[in-house]
Amino acid sequence: MPKANSVKSTGHRVKPARKPKFQADLAPFEDSAVRSLKQQLQLTSNSDFFSEAVALFQWAVSERRQGHRIVSESANGEKKILVLPRLERVAPESALPHVRIDWTEKELGRLAELLSSEPAKPTDALVLAMKG
Amino acid sequence: MATAIRRLEESDSVESFDCGDEPLNNYLKRHAWNNQQKSSIGVTYVAVEELAPGAVIGYFTLATSSAPRDSFPKKYVRGLPAYDVPVILLARLAVDRRFGRRGLGRELLSAALRVSLRVSKEVGCRCVIVDAYPTAMPWYRSYGFTALEESKSGAVRMYLDIRTIEAARSVS
Repeated sequence: MPKANSVKSTGHRVKPARKPKFQADLAPFEDSAVRSLKQQLQLTSNSDFFSEAVALFQWAVSERRQGHRIVSESANGEKKILVLPRLERVAPESALPHVRIDWTEKELGRLAELLSSEPAKPTDALVLAMKG
Repeated sequence: MATAIRRLEESDSVESFDCGDEPLNNYLKRHAWNNQQKSSIGVTYVAVEELAPGAVIGYFTLATSSAPRDSFPKKYVRGLPAYDVPVILLARLAVDRRFGRRGLGRELLSAALRVSLRVSKEVGCRCVIVDAYPTAMPWYRSYGFTALEESKSGAVRMYLDIRTIEAARSVS
């Protein structure tokens, strides 16, 4: 009896989608770090190691993207915040603190005028600075 | 000289930093880390050489702020949203004088404006405000900053519309 969701054979064997390969050149200390981590985490293949590492990195990026800080806490409550420069690049700058500016009346008048106007065209120096 | 710009870290070496301006040196050495980590008054980004990644050779500090809509002249209020206007304050920007004249100031300003653009997309902001020394005004003007009030002495508050920065990025 045929299975309910069986696919009608066309006579051609469908090739499984090819998995992308990932190759990396490791410095000796990185190689030994990978081996040690694999051993500690009881991972047998590089693929599994990579998959776990990606999952962890993905989680860290997602947390930081939401503005959450990644903190480790010891048994006695000592906390350490993970600051990884690459990770900070995805952090929303909503984390920028808010300060009060003491505006003068003239400044506010000019600011309101500028905000109500069309924005100025960028200067060549600004275009150059924002390049890349 | 390959440089990287990133957030200030506690382990960064700042003691030898010298931009030639004592208040700016002092801010980086004494206050920047505490203001960033403990008080949340400002976030400092530092430029470091890739060969000496802990030694700070330039920095800028950013914070968010706002302009009170209630205090705007009546003739402009009607065209503006019914809220205080969110702005980004580029509170400080300095380059160690031993690394001057190499375009590091431009790199720092560029990084500050990129962060500002990201902020405008994440939480909204209309412009970047900087309190510039009179001697630095021509430099900021070359990037499109406009003085909000002319002053013969002391810092001058300058303005750059976030839409202008966005336009510059689109052209690039």
